[in-house]
Amino acid sequence: MSAGPAPRGASQHAPGTTHREEGQQARTGAVALSPAGPSSPPGRGARLTLTVLRGSRRFGGPVAGVAVGVLLVLLLQGNGFTSTLLLDMLVYAIAAMSLDFLGGYAGLISLGQAGLLGVSAYGVAIAEVHFFSPWAAVGIGLGAVLALGLVMGIAAVRTKGVSFVIITLALGQVLWGLAFQWVGLSEGDNGIPLTILPSLGPFDLNDPLTLRMTVLIVFAVVALLLVTIVHSPFGLSLRGVRSNETRLAALGYRTGLHRYLAWVIAVFFTGVAGVLYIFVNQLISPATMAFSEDGLLVIMVVLGGLGSIWGPALGAVVIVLFQQELSIYVTRWQTLMGLTLIAVVLFSPGGLWGVVRAAGRRRDALIARLEARQARPAGPGQSGAA
Amino acid sequence: MQQFIAQTLNGLTLAGIIFLVSSGFTLVFGVMRVTNLSHGAVYLLGGYIGYSVITATHNFFYGLVAGALAVGVLGLILERTLITWLGGREMAELLATLGLIYVLDDISLAIWGGTPLTINLPGVLGRSVTLPISGIVYPNTRLFILGVSIVVALGLYLLLRRTRVGAIIRAGVDDREMVGALGINVRLVFTLVFTLGAALAGFAGVLGGTVLGVYTGGDSDILLFALAVVIIGGLGSFEGAIVGSLIIGLAETYGTAYFQAVAYSIVFIPVIVILLVKPEGLLGKVTR
Repeated sequence: MSAGPAPRGASQHAPGTTHREEGQQARTGAVALSPAGPSSPPGRGARLTLTVLRGSRRFGGPVAGVAVGVLLVLLLQGNGFTSTLLLDMLVYAIAAMSLDFLGGYAGLISLGQAGLLGVSAYGVAIAEVHFFSPWAAVGIGLGAVLALGLVMGIAAVRTKGVSFVIITLALGQVLWGLAFQWVGLSEGDNGIPLTILPSLGPFDLNDPLTLRMTVLIVFAVVALLLVTIVHSPFGLSLRGVRSNETRLAALGYRTGLHRYLAWVIAVFFTGVAGVLYIFVNQLISPATMAFSEDGLLVIMVVLGGLGSIWGPALGAVVIVLFQQELSIYVTRWQTLMGLTLIAVVLFSPGGLWGVVRAAGRRRDALIARLEARQARPAGPGQSGAA
Repeated sequence: MQQFIAQTLNGLTLAGIIFLVSSGFTLVFGVMRVTNLSHGAVYLLGGYIGYSVITATHNFFYGLVAGALAVGVLGLILERTLITWLGGREMAELLATLGLIYVLDDISLAIWGGTPLTINLPGVLGRSVTLPISGIVYPNTRLFILGVSIVVALGLYLLLRRTRVGAIIRAGVDDREMVGALGINVRLVFTLVFTLGAALAGFAGVLGGTVLGVYTGGDSDILLFALAVVIIGGLGSFEGAIVGSLIIGLAETYGTAYFQAVAYSIVFIPVIVILLVKPEGLLGKVTR
């Protein structure tokens, strides 16, 4: 009798003794009641289904990711409305993902993110107005938002929960107010246009196709970085700080520092989204930083699914689509959006990604059931069949 | 000097309107722990309803009462449905009321359009008066608003300090589980406070419509003032709302008059100072 862990999928050997298989044996009882009947051996169809399901569990995510990536590359080739829409979606997806990192993993939902997005965009535009080179302007934009994040964080992460929301809202509005009223610096309501984008040899962001591919690549890099951070030890302890701060503090974790770092990371990536925003739109005005925009980012995150990184990207896609496309057909789309947020909060706190996750759980349950059926002592003809 | 006095009076008027909005917000938070982000949208809706009733009846006071009553009823319905369904989950309540902003604003836009509206006060209230000593000519409307907000503040103070209901509300701010354990119907108190808060916002919406106007986006302006007030005064503190309103009202008015470029942001300087020095607010209790 082998005592070692049986490899996944090696269920055709003699009745095993590992824990996993015992569990599956126990669940077989339930399967036996299914219409298929206890005597029917697992057919070719069932085995094929199982293989497909297992494959989707192991490779589904990466394959879907690559497929979406290829689709995006193809769609972004054109100069038409579609690629403009997609670029907006990608930019807001970056902002939504970084807000989700802050809200979903550190438990700090910020209602001032649109303001921070505006800071880096304004940083780039204002630097160019003052005759800095385009690359220097990008550095100034990112540097400005990072410096601001480092300072704001000192005040902001002293609080959490509802107070944090209110404080970030207030700080975000300060930024909006400056953009709106400090006409000498920000040109006020008219905003500042950006005429020249950075270029380096053959790599020229003024070329629309290069710009579109760059946005796509930056999106992918930010997404993968955030996912990596989330699954790193830092990401895990961050979740610990969110769910039981006292305990983590007692264990010797510097909980305040965790929140501060999470805030700075999120602010920086929001700044990256801001730089891309002005590259894509070539104009930044206070409207981008208004309170309703702060709210839209939060709606993207909650609709997509708080604490899932990919979900909020999906949320950004849906909201931008709503805002720019469906608003032509649905006059009262804002009402619809507000009601959708309320409905998500009430009935589906996991958001869209929660639906995807539920489907994944159902698949895993199905795999377990099929495995259990195969693991059952098979009929005489079946034993030994590889 | 004359200008400074006039600006101070303007600031006090604004403080009065901000107080009416923020007192409701802070009471609702204090008693129910509900962060009602749609409070500003409710204020704006009250202003719009008041405008329509005044246009129809040609009587300002009907409009004032109608604005307060209509959004009071809305508050009652919201408390009995949405807020109850959410079952006290603070962040869920905050997010749901965020969604409510878009709904209420969009409905207001659909009915009243995007053109800014102004409410005019009737008769002598719409004229100006020459103030004694300084000789400033000052609009009666603002003096009226100032007077009404002082009266309402006094009324609320007496309600909270001198009546049984007020004692229950104050006890609710301190320890709502204990209030429930004493056999008091906390549900009823919640409904009452939420309705009162909404009605105050609607009342302020009609009053504010005279000097600030009723316009799309007016809701987020006033909400932010209210939030600044509760950060300064302390979330849940009625007296804090008075102090905070005075600070914000005056800071905003002086800022607009003397520091045009940073007027809006100057309001938040006291907010940031308070956050760094006394995060629970001037009169707030240490949050749980």
